[in-house]
Amino acid sequence: MRSGRDQRFRRQLKRRASTERLRERIIMHIPDGFIDGKTAATTAVLAAAGVGLALRQVRRRLAPRRVPLLGLAAAFLFAAQMVNFPVAGGTSGHLVGGVLVAALLGPSAAIVVLTTVLIVQCFLFADGGVLALGANIFNMAIVGTAGGYAIYRVMCRAMPGTRGQVAAVAFAGWCSTVLASICCAGQLAWSGTVAWPVAFTAMTSVHMAIGVGEGLISALVLLAIQRARPDLTSEVNGTEPSRPWGELVRYGLLAAVGVAVFVAPFACSWPDGLESVAAKLGFEHKTVQSAVSAPAAGYRVPGVHWAVGATALAGAAGAVIVFGLALLLARSLVREGEGDTHLTKP
Amino acid sequence: MIDDWIGHYHRHRDSVVSRLPAAFKLGVALAMIVGTVLAPPTAVGWFAGMAMLLVFAVALGRLPLLFLLKRLAWLSPFILSVALVNALQPAARGSWLAVAMKSTICLLTIIVVSNTTPFSRILRVLKAAHVPGLLITTIALMHRYLFVLVEEAERMRRARASRTFKRQRRARWQALSTVVGQLFVRASERAERIYDAMCARGWK
Amino acid sequence: MNAAIQVTNLSYRYHDGTEALRAVSFPVAPGECVGLLGPNGSGKSTLLLHLNGLLPEKLGWNGAVQILGQPISPDNIETVRRQVGFVFQDPDDQLFCPSVEEDVAFGPQQLGLSETEVNARVQKALAQAGLAGFGHRATHHLSHGEKRRACLAGVLACEPSVLVLDEPTSDLDPRGRREFKALLRGIAATKLIATHDLELVVELCSRAIVLDRGAVVADGPVTDLLNNEELMLAHGLERPHILRHHHPH
Repeated sequence: MRSGRDQRFRRQLKRRASTERLRERIIMHIPDGFIDGKTAATTAVLAAAGVGLALRQVRRRLAPRRVPLLGLAAAFLFAAQMVNFPVAGGTSGHLVGGVLVAALLGPSAAIVVLTTVLIVQCFLFADGGVLALGANIFNMAIVGTAGGYAIYRVMCRAMPGTRGQVAAVAFAGWCSTVLASICCAGQLAWSGTVAWPVAFTAMTSVHMAIGVGEGLISALVLLAIQRARPDLTSEVNGTEPSRPWGELVRYGLLAAVGVAVFVAPFACSWPDGLESVAAKLGFEHKTVQSAVSAPAAGYRVPGVHWAVGATALAGAAGAVIVFGLALLLARSLVREGEGDTHLTKP
Repeated sequence: MIDDWIGHYHRHRDSVVSRLPAAFKLGVALAMIVGTVLAPPTAVGWFAGMAMLLVFAVALGRLPLLFLLKRLAWLSPFILSVALVNALQPAARGSWLAVAMKSTICLLTIIVVSNTTPFSRILRVLKAAHVPGLLITTIALMHRYLFVLVEEAERMRRARASRTFKRQRRARWQALSTVVGQLFVRASERAERIYDAMCARGWK
Repeated sequence: MNAAIQVTNLSYRYHDGTEALRAVSFPVAPGECVGLLGPNGSGKSTLLLHLNGLLPEKLGWNGAVQILGQPISPDNIETVRRQVGFVFQDPDDQLFCPSVEEDVAFGPQQLGLSETEVNARVQKALAQAGLAGFGHRATHHLSHGEKRRACLAGVLACEPSVLVLDEPTSDLDPRGRREFKALLRGIAATKLIATHDLELVVELCSRAIVLDRGAVVADGPVTDLLNNEELMLAHGLERPHILRHHHPH
């Protein structure tokens, strides 16, 4: 005989379980239909180039003994993404894990691992669209991972030791989320699905919050691994390159091309700014409009450009704040000099 | 069961659709998705045609309706957020309906294919499409072990939870990150044993 | 007559310096079924990994292990792996392909056989392991007993002359255990079985070797060794019930 309270509890559990299924972990997996043909094609080319580069690097450098580790790391990432880190109420944080895997296996292997996860999610679970796969891989596996890793390496060099590593992963994790979301916003805007100011403001602000979870979880997990098996997190592992800058520059170039196509035309508010100036001065021609970008016709919501600027400023301020928080986190989690004997300078 | 939890319909029912060759299904799906994405919002005829084809495929494939509705519900956060966000643009309000329709059609297409085709067949098609061998191996291994690791993670989480008496968030985050960290360590060790098993049967 | 396996003065240290094996020596005659016993941590698994050339990692041998009369060296490592079929402790580590068919076909494919030959071997191995018709099943969905048999099938498909098994019946329910035992009995190859299942050793093996802390402490006929209660207890084992009570089976 079930009491009323028992029944309510069961209903609550069921509701929470179904909310979990609509999780926000897929907030960056763009489904089909949200980006148009030209965006899909461009991102597919960029993604193929990036993944091709990563595969070549991995084939060249990875010891045969570690080949199964790529597949297992992908399976690990998938399982780790399922873990609910409770935040407040019914919401929870989740790991994407690009920077974490890059810190463990190196940037090229991480790109391969993330790409694998995205492909399986697409074809097995219909998470993220098929045509949007290029965009998702470009955003999360390439820009997020390589970009985040670059920041991680710079910070590790500046602050050697476990503390530096933890702070680096936390900050780099946040950055990778934000960077990926900016590219995603650019793609949505270039497709005409959502206007750039709205896309940028919405995506970036949401992901600045989500990124905190990503950075925090990545840092905690890396520390747990470092404590259990320090050999897996140091360069002795053999998969992390001692000089990754060659490959990082190449990924950076790819990312730059993507940014140039998806973001730059919007980020420059010159066309609209100039246009309003031209109108004031009596020029009627819309000669200053960029050929690539075309803000949604007929839309003039006042104050939206202000929102973009405000978001960009908030982003910059956020970066500084998160950087400070990352340092504080590392200080609170890691004892002075802990684990330093196992670390070689990255 | 873990399969429902992940939302993937595992028990492939034998049906007309499941017996079709994987390459054919993927090719048709790709054509449908490309056509739908490229179609202008006014191409109602195309959307109607696709919808009918999908209804047909769902019926022939004997896919349970409730399952489909649940999977479509995954999509709603996106559509809702785009709708919300586009509400700020008076002129673009009409287009979100087109976006919703397109993405629903594309999602249903891929759901039908993925639930009537064993993943290894899909992988074979990818291999034939000249996807690099290393990537195929990695995908195959991921697919093989993802359920193993998900179950392992669940067991560890439960074991942890049974010994966690603090309800504070900080303690739970520490416990969960230890579980995830341990999962990686175990995955890494398992990878080594898999390498040994592959070598033992002659892999070079 | 050449011993199928000949181990002479095999010693091995782990990375951290602990001794895993200390001057282990023993022969295994062709067709013999030998049980390898010992408490946890005695080095059984480490010893077995040497028989397939999986240890030491850097192929620096001194001829301590000979398979079918040939010492294991970097040159003949592939031949050795073909001759010695290794069944690992965790079936999930060994069944790394998505379907049973693909996994059993892995070995023959690595041998470079033609597709028809591979298919023939797969069907034969599946039949031998009692898994006829299981080819299309997904490895993840098999029961534990079925997984163990699939591992055996995968190894049998390579047609080895020596079978090395690491804890083959652990985690099996009584029926699974009986079925696996019957399977092993039907295989003619030379067998070396590392196990805690003392009754399995009594039922299948003619000879037993006891390992403790990396060294061989006893080597002789099964009934003599396992009836020696003092010896068993001294090395973390015990006299199995099947020998204590005279049961018809």
